[in-house]
Amino acid sequence: MSGKVKIMERKGKDLYERLYLVEIFKGMAVTFGHFISNFLDNSKLYVRHYPEQKPEITARWRGRHRLTTHEDGTMKCVACFMCQTNCPAKCIMIEAGERVDGRTEKMPVRFDIDLLECIYCGYCVEACPMDAIRMDTGIFAVTGSDRQSFVMGLDALLATPGAFSEEEYKKGGA
Amino acid sequence: MAEKVKLFVNGQEVEVEAGKNLIDAFGAVGIEIPHLCYHPALGADGNCRMCLVGIEDGRPPLVPACKTKVAEGMKVQLDAEKIKKIQRDIMELELINHPIDCPICDQAGECKLQDYYMRYDGKPSRMTVKPVLKAKKMDFGCDVVHDQERCVLCARCVRFTRLVTKTGELGIVNRTDYARVNIFPGRPLNNRYALNVVDLCPVGAMTSRDFRFKQRAWFLTKSPSICQGCSKGCNIFIDHNREKYKDDVIYRFRPRLNEKVNGYFMCDEGRMTYKQENDNRLIAPQVNGREAGFAEAIEAVRRAISGATKTAVLVSPNASLEQIFSIRQFAASINAALSGYSDGYIKAGDGDDFLIQDDKSANRAAFTLLNIDDSKAGFDAAINGADLLINFQNDLGRSLAEDQLASVLANAKLIAISSAATGCTAKSAVAVPVASYSEDSGSLINCDGRLQRYEIAVAKNQPLKSLIEVTNLIGGEIANNQEARAGLQAAVAVLKDIDLEQIPAEGIALTESEVAHVAA
Repeated sequence: MSGKVKIMERKGKDLYERLYLVEIFKGMAVTFGHFISNFLDNSKLYVRHYPEQKPEITARWRGRHRLTTHEDGTMKCVACFMCQTNCPAKCIMIEAGERVDGRTEKMPVRFDIDLLECIYCGYCVEACPMDAIRMDTGIFAVTGSDRQSFVMGLDALLATPGAFSEEEYKKGGA
Repeated sequence: MAEKVKLFVNGQEVEVEAGKNLIDAFGAVGIEIPHLCYHPALGADGNCRMCLVGIEDGRPPLVPACKTKVAEGMKVQLDAEKIKKIQRDIMELELINHPIDCPICDQAGECKLQDYYMRYDGKPSRMTVKPVLKAKKMDFGCDVVHDQERCVLCARCVRFTRLVTKTGELGIVNRTDYARVNIFPGRPLNNRYALNVVDLCPVGAMTSRDFRFKQRAWFLTKSPSICQGCSKGCNIFIDHNREKYKDDVIYRFRPRLNEKVNGYFMCDEGRMTYKQENDNRLIAPQVNGREAGFAEAIEAVRRAISGATKTAVLVSPNASLEQIFSIRQFAASINAALSGYSDGYIKAGDGDDFLIQDDKSANRAAFTLLNIDDSKAGFDAAINGADLLINFQNDLGRSLAEDQLASVLANAKLIAISSAATGCTAKSAVAVPVASYSEDSGSLINCDGRLQRYEIAVAKNQPLKSLIEVTNLIGGEIANNQEARAGLQAAVAVLKDIDLEQIPAEGIALTESEVAHVAA
């Protein structure tokens, strides 16, 4: 197991560097310089003011899911169970029923996504033949006080709008 | 074994059964020839042209495999480029006006059109004109829903109503892309086997209203079993699924091939008996009308048995051979009179000459085999003076009118050991739930004296004890099916030479003399 050993030459052999304290003070000057300037004016901070200031996310970001609708407001989902079948986390639970809004024949009567189980892989979006489920809400932090509040129902999924325009979303590779 | 012939498939020598057509003979040895219109029970029609194969002996260049019998030395071509092209072209032709609504089609996952497209075509559509729109979601009666757009006009359903049920409700009207499968105006499907067209349909043109949108085919576990809707004992698949956070639920019964019993079909009534396995089940033990723990209920039964002066035991004609035997031994051990009275299970005149039988119980033939009396007189004698009636699974409310049942129960305390919540269990002093046949295994003898086996299909989240286990707990000697089978072989002469642990898939025909008078 004897690997190659390379002995590095030690830098700073002259007296000036070996004095040590000079370099320390130079370093501390930088640190205190930042501290004072940030202390006096924090708008120049290098970190984001989350959560007041949200990060910019791209259209390809996989955020919380939503169900899309046709232009007339009817849902695109036809309850084909492709997303549920493809889901590796088994977090989608659908119940299908007879369609009542005049389009085709089938629609979900229940469509639950358990966000605590979801791994945000986006396989449901890829599997969907109707472009009915998307992860383009831009919501990346879901909070709740109990487990049940993380189960997104049909109405909640339909109510959330997309965060991007159709062109941006399509350009994202969808 | 049947006679064999040797022939060549794609240049390789293959030995197949003689006298069959190419599709069946090759299918039996694992060589698949795609076909849509051919069905073994309906014969060769030759209209789909999907099974065209080449035979190198001076015949026309291509012949339909469904109409060609195997012959010694025949040279069959299945993978030639021209045959592949035909398969591709036929698929393209079938898909010209197909709506491709697989996402909402119940057949998706078990659809021949899907399978063949993936295997033999796989090309995008070249059509630039809009597909012809046809009628969808048509009510054909008998809970059959028809979709004309999905139909490939194989005429299996039409031939079924003409050849099998002989009712002929369906027909193909018009020609070319106006051709549709349809019913005659105002004359919907009206036969007791109508739902078989759903199974026969190779695509999703025929769907069942009952199963519609309930499950996708690929979620279902398909467990072989025996239908207990009547004494025919049709072989079935129990299609069930345990959804997340839910219990194992049965979604449909489908016929399973058994040439010796039901062939490829089953009746609609039997198909719907799956609902009895899901709904109206006795789940919680009851003692004196209130819910009790299982151990408490068993203790109550044991106390009732030891306190009774005369006990009568009633057994169900639906119980398996093993169960009936263990109950018989149990009844003998407590000196109880045993009756199998179940006149209510017989619907006189209901049967036909195909599959449906008058006797709606699955295993009455076992009563004869085990000398169990199922007459009213026998029941009256057994119950006369009895102060305890132990009812194993028998739905007495079907055989006795309300007042008769009340007069029986006026003298005797009722203990119901049942899988279903019936009128009887509600009136009982103690009710003990047991597993139903989909959750249990056992043997049945059908009306023709054929011994068949069913295995455990459904595993509930909270499994109930089997009837034999409960019989064992309340004092019976036999603890499980194995012990019951050993006992049966020792006690019953007909079963002596039969290995009850190894019943073949087709069942065993018991000797005629023993059960001849049972056959309806």
